[in-house]
Amino acid sequence: MEKVMEILRQMSGWVDPLVKSSGITLSLSVLSVIIGILGGTFIALGRISKNKLINKVCGGYIFLFRGTPLLMQLFFIYYALPLAIPAMTLNNRFVAALIAFSVNSAAYQAEIIRAAIQSIDHGQAEAARSLGLTPNQTMFLVIIPQAIKRMIPPIGNEFIMVLKDTSLVSTIALVDLMKRTSQIQSSQATALVYLPSAVIYLIFTGVFTWLFNRLEHHHARYE
Amino acid sequence: MAVIQAIDICKKFGDLEVLHNVNLDVEKGEVVGIIGPSGAGKSTFLRALNHLETITSGKIYVDGHLLDDRVNGINRTNLPKKKETEILLEMGMVFQRFNIFPHKTVLENVALAPQKVRKLSKPLAEERAKELIARVGLTDKLDVYPAKLSGGQLQRVAIARALAMEPKIMLFDEPTSALDPELVGEVLSVMRSLAESGMTMLIVTHEIAFAREVANKIIFMSGGEVLEHGAPRQLFENAQNEKTRAFLNAVL
Ligand SMILES: Nc1ncnc2c1ncn2[C@@H]1O[C@H](COP(=O)(O)OP(=O)(O)OP(=O)(O)O)[C@@H](O)[C@H]1O
Ligand SMILES: [Mg+2]
Repeated sequence: MEKVMEILRQMSGWVDPLVKSSGITLSLSVLSVIIGILGGTFIALGRISKNKLINKVCGGYIFLFRGTPLLMQLFFIYYALPLAIPAMTLNNRFVAALIAFSVNSAAYQAEIIRAAIQSIDHGQAEAARSLGLTPNQTMFLVIIPQAIKRMIPPIGNEFIMVLKDTSLVSTIALVDLMKRTSQIQSSQATALVYLPSAVIYLIFTGVFTWLFNRLEHHHARYE
Repeated sequence: MAVIQAIDICKKFGDLEVLHNVNLDVEKGEVVGIIGPSGAGKSTFLRALNHLETITSGKIYVDGHLLDDRVNGINRTNLPKKKETEILLEMGMVFQRFNIFPHKTVLENVALAPQKVRKLSKPLAEERAKELIARVGLTDKLDVYPAKLSGGQLQRVAIARALAMEPKIMLFDEPTSALDPELVGEVLSVMRSLAESGMTMLIVTHEIAFAREVANKIIFMSGGEVLEHGAPRQLFENAQNEKTRAFLNAVL
């Protein structure tokens, strides 16, 4: 009994630093997924575009950022880019990480969005066209609203992947939840700290899973 | 003057020629039934009129305007995009698979294009949409989403939606083929009343009895060509072409 109380007291002391550091984890994943959705939408439209050049450029972007390790992209933006172009020096580690995660996420989400758009029955676009809607109106009023529902589950999945991948930022000395956890672990020589840390990760994924389910449900109301 | 005049329409998909010198004149108020075996090119022809397919060569006039003039795939009309859209809007299209927008209610489906294309105000577009929805007998479904409707009801919404753009000509591509037999009647009756109101209609159909009753003219297509055309009586009772007779024997 004595022992259990002791452990609980110790753990409660970790909660505060862990929660504080998880702010980086959370804001980095939310922001990069949002920026990734915006960027991914443009890249997806580029991939669907009949313009050969735009199509190839967007295809190349996806190939590049899905085909190389995220860690390498992070190092490149933080360490290598400033060497090549001094003006691109990012003193703010968070901004560097945000850029790396956003451009990487955009590549994955572009494919999610493209697949969802192309899964919509071609008859929808034909009907819209026969009613005189322009290609842009057809895309934004008819196709994308239907595709959104199909994008939500894979984007939710992508969000959870990003949330966990943010642990890579410790490599550029940014103190996120994972980094703080291992700091405590080594300074206090106890592996028990992984317990509250894992719980915080699980709360995040749990809350966002629920949120994405709600969102999907909302977009399926017409079915 | 013909509302639609199609002259020597040819259409190739790669090396496959699916339309070969198809000619057709449709007069104002005329109802033309297009029949023929599967793969005859009926859908392709209808879709070509509406620019859902691009013809390889031939000329298409709609309401006196030259919409298409192509030779070996090269366009010779130089029609500005805006003018082209305007001419295309003289034709409304009804599809075999309805293609109703599932994320919009019945009212929204019908009012969408008038708002976005004709720039009508929302109240005005909806007021007109309601009249058309009443005309196809679906007033009680205004705010219902398509998933809750039967095929017959969906096709009636599709007809109202096409009519909302106030076309002069309606194109129907097998409007009842995807329907359960008991739902065919309600769609045909809407089409019948549309024909009676003087609408010019081109109907690709396997409903021979309906074509015979409503159409003024029947076109028989096979292998990408119009093999025979004429008044329903003449064509159905006294077909001249061997293939027409064989087809009619098989379907009647
Ligand atoms: N997009 C396409 N690419 C290649 N071939 C096509 C395409 N669309 C149609 N075809 C071919 O063109 C021919 C005519 O097809 P179409 O759909 O016009 O026939 P149909 O008379 O409407 O037949 P059905 O009664 O089965 O609807 C067919 O051989 C078909 O395989
Ligand atoms: Mg067909």
